[in-house]
Amino acid sequence: MNTKGLDDAVDSMLEMFIFETNQNLEQLEQITIQSEKNGAFSGEEINDIFRIMHTIKGSSAMMEALEVTALAHAVEDIFFYVREKKPEKLDCSILTDLVLNAADFIKTEIDKMEAGEKTDAIAADLIESTSAFLLQLKQINGEQPAKITLPVKPKPIQASTQKLSSYIDLDEPVNVFQAKITYKDHCEMENIRAYTLINNVKGIVGELHYLPDNILEDDESANIIRKNGFNICFTTSKEYDEISVLLNRTIFLKELELEQLTDVTECSYWPKKEMLPKKALPEQIIAKGEEREINHPSMISVNVTKLDILMDLVGELVISEAMVTENPDLQGLDLDNFYKAARQLKKISTELQDGVMSIRMVPLSGTFQKMNRIVRDMSKKLNKQAELVLVGEETEVDKNVIEHISDPLMHLIRNSLDHGIELPEDRKKAGKNPVGKITLEAKNAGNEVIINIVDDGQGLNKEKILKKAKENQLLYKNESDFTDKEIYSFIFSPGLSTNEKVTEFSGRGVGMDVVMKNINAVGGNIIVNSEPGKGSMITLKIPLTLAIITGMTIKVGQSRYTIPIMSIRESFKPSLDNILVDPNGNEMIMVRGKCYSIMRLHQLYNIVGAVTDFNDGIMIMIETEKTTIGLFADQLIGQQQIVVKPIPAYIKNISKTQGVTGCTLLGDGNISLILDAVGIVNRV
Amino acid sequence: MKKVLIVDDAAFVRFAMKNMLEKNGYEVVGEAPDGSTAILQYKELQPDFVTMDITMPGMNGIETLKEIKKFDPNAVIVMVSAMGHENFVKEAVLNGAVYFLVKPIKEENLIEVLSKIIES
Amino acid sequence: MAEEVMELDEDTQKDKYLTFFIGKEIYGIDIRLVTEIIGIQPITEIPEVPVYVKGIINLRGKIIPVMDVRLRFKKEFLAYNDRTCVIVIEAHEIALGLIVDGVAEVLRIGEENIVPPPEIRAAQNKYIKGIGKTGNEVNLLLDCDKLLTDQDEAAIVDL
Repeated sequence: MNTKGLDDAVDSMLEMFIFETNQNLEQLEQITIQSEKNGAFSGEEINDIFRIMHTIKGSSAMMEALEVTALAHAVEDIFFYVREKKPEKLDCSILTDLVLNAADFIKTEIDKMEAGEKTDAIAADLIESTSAFLLQLKQINGEQPAKITLPVKPKPIQASTQKLSSYIDLDEPVNVFQAKITYKDHCEMENIRAYTLINNVKGIVGELHYLPDNILEDDESANIIRKNGFNICFTTSKEYDEISVLLNRTIFLKELELEQLTDVTECSYWPKKEMLPKKALPEQIIAKGEEREINHPSMISVNVTKLDILMDLVGELVISEAMVTENPDLQGLDLDNFYKAARQLKKISTELQDGVMSIRMVPLSGTFQKMNRIVRDMSKKLNKQAELVLVGEETEVDKNVIEHISDPLMHLIRNSLDHGIELPEDRKKAGKNPVGKITLEAKNAGNEVIINIVDDGQGLNKEKILKKAKENQLLYKNESDFTDKEIYSFIFSPGLSTNEKVTEFSGRGVGMDVVMKNINAVGGNIIVNSEPGKGSMITLKIPLTLAIITGMTIKVGQSRYTIPIMSIRESFKPSLDNILVDPNGNEMIMVRGKCYSIMRLHQLYNIVGAVTDFNDGIMIMIETEKTTIGLFADQLIGQQQIVVKPIPAYIKNISKTQGVTGCTLLGDGNISLILDAVGIVNRV
Repeated sequence: MKKVLIVDDAAFVRFAMKNMLEKNGYEVVGEAPDGSTAILQYKELQPDFVTMDITMPGMNGIETLKEIKKFDPNAVIVMVSAMGHENFVKEAVLNGAVYFLVKPIKEENLIEVLSKIIES
Repeated sequence: MAEEVMELDEDTQKDKYLTFFIGKEIYGIDIRLVTEIIGIQPITEIPEVPVYVKGIINLRGKIIPVMDVRLRFKKEFLAYNDRTCVIVIEAHEIALGLIVDGVAEVLRIGEENIVPPPEIRAAQNKYIKGIGKTGNEVNLLLDCDKLLTDQDEAAIVDL
């Protein structure tokens, strides 16, 4: 056995387990929160929760996460009871908490498994409260607490009429055998195993009796078999050897004692004399199920790393293609056929690129749905009432974009609830619906996705923000020159929280500045709008994908840099007449009557051998939400689609540089650094 | 090589069982996440064995078993059940399931059950 | 089978060190960390990193940072020439190219021939795990973990 192969199998099994359990947990959370909203669990929801818990129980047992198994079992029990007994008195709110707590516990354990840590948390408390809830549920719904039974009575199955069964006589059943079968320890459900044994021998036996005789009716019989073994005695035409072989095939057999008797009277449990009515084994009951419509899109799940590799390869392909078609060796040659073929190649590689990208696109719904839980938990804690409306959750973005915006979204929603939505009584006083409304909306806009977070709360306090910004020395121009938008965007500056008291939710050490940073990191942007008393709207503009962007590559000294085309307003040869220098030596440029700061890239990054004379270089106007600046570089190289590669981890760890978000390989094999407009502008 | 169809709504369980089976020389010809797919696949693939989870969304394992049995009375179906579901197992066995396995499924148990069934 | 081969591999690589020069000194690096040795490549500079991080290189489509070991040890910069080598190592899933004056050979140095380094004094001693003796030669064995992770210097470099 190849151990590596085995390890791989274990790894992918773990991966699969984590993936599926997480999916199940997400679904569980959604269903639970939805039911709580509706004030009741529908039959379907109960079924779903039961099934999810059941699946988690089974899977986690296989992964030997025993605490998870036990907890899932406890929750499953409640829903089993609810499903079967449909109790009238059911406190949905408490039950929701129980389920969510259990889900949280399981999630934490799964995360640990994912990180390769030990799953060591003890679920005893949760299990206890869960079981206590079930017990109480049974009590208030009029069930005897002491009675420990299976939640359902065994359905009256035909086997119950089969006590002291006898089967169709075969030809000359002359031999009598008595056997005692012992099953392996811990194999469970011994009584049903015994029943299948009888099923297996029925074809060759004449008359058959067994002890215990109530194997199907009473599950206690499993214990008896465990203790005393399963005894059968039958008549048959077969010989000892054949019978021995047959019985030795019993699954999970631990021990078989087989002896041939001379007469049935030797068997202590053989019924005396009177023949019982002959009866065959119950026939299969074939239900008349209606034909169902079957319509499944065939889906497969693929490991994301495989997609990443594929994406990388496509990136390499695009670069190689450029290396071939733009090869300097081709210059001056008349190659009609070559270029025809090259165009075809380009077309195909573009289609391939689009295809791979579309595989990576996933809907935002998972991320959006998660917000339900946050709104629920927070409203409860803050004594507020709020409703979350999701719009356009089917909008798709690249998988790795989703990973980056999940946390910022969560934070923005928290912020809306915490600072935006007022307490119910305040809302009533203001003539508003006491239940606040937060709308989370996504829509496509070209190469971007726009996500709006709209609340109907109290809105942002402009004066307070401005005052705070002043205290933090954030004002970069005259107070009166600030537009409302610019003032509102201060809420994303570090250390600016207008709320005096830090609440549990908004004050978790991460501020809105982190939100801004995360969104900027994926090349996105945030715009804030607000109307006092009416509410606020925060708009996120996110690129559809991080993997490939259109960029303008520029040259400074020997270095190349690429700027996302989204951030470039225009570029031109600057004329010295339009350049001003203030007494502190800060350079500025006038463009159509407006004045902008100049950033010399060679100065910022200490690049030697760069153009320093404005006459010889190029000015690129970089636009961000906050401001626009002129970036001075040597020359433009050209605009192209580039494949974004991350800066190596080692560099990220030791460098605090702002403004470089990634790198890309150019057609000539050189590396170009990708500049981030926001990072650059912040350096002015 | 004996052909097996795995029916379970949990992809993880299917995956794990597939691993166990393939390691032991069984060919997993199909995997179905629900009853209706299972019936279709059974008709198409004609496997030697079916492992059938009992608790599934939509059509449960027992209903599926009944349907398959209706199509092929000789279908060899091994039920897969969690502990504590004696009643379902009984019902399944009464409806023609050859045997059953209790979750968590262990490789040796799964293989023992299948090889013993082949013997008989 | 595969397992046996792997074990064999592990065994043959154990106690083996790739030695290289920095000036007159010979350093050794655990050969299991080395993925390849290449000549000096065009380097793309990265702004605002410690001086010993020369930048990044494109190694068949993979972007790998390169560190000038000379500068890391606070020695004088030496212009790169055709003897200059980049030793690509991988540790803790971080790939890094080490720029050295030249590569010498692969040596087997048993644990019994390795002694701990003297009291920390010189800058480079910080990155020495032990001193290996082979015949008359002395090799300073590098602690790549420290080389990769040690950051106190990086923190001092003002940006």
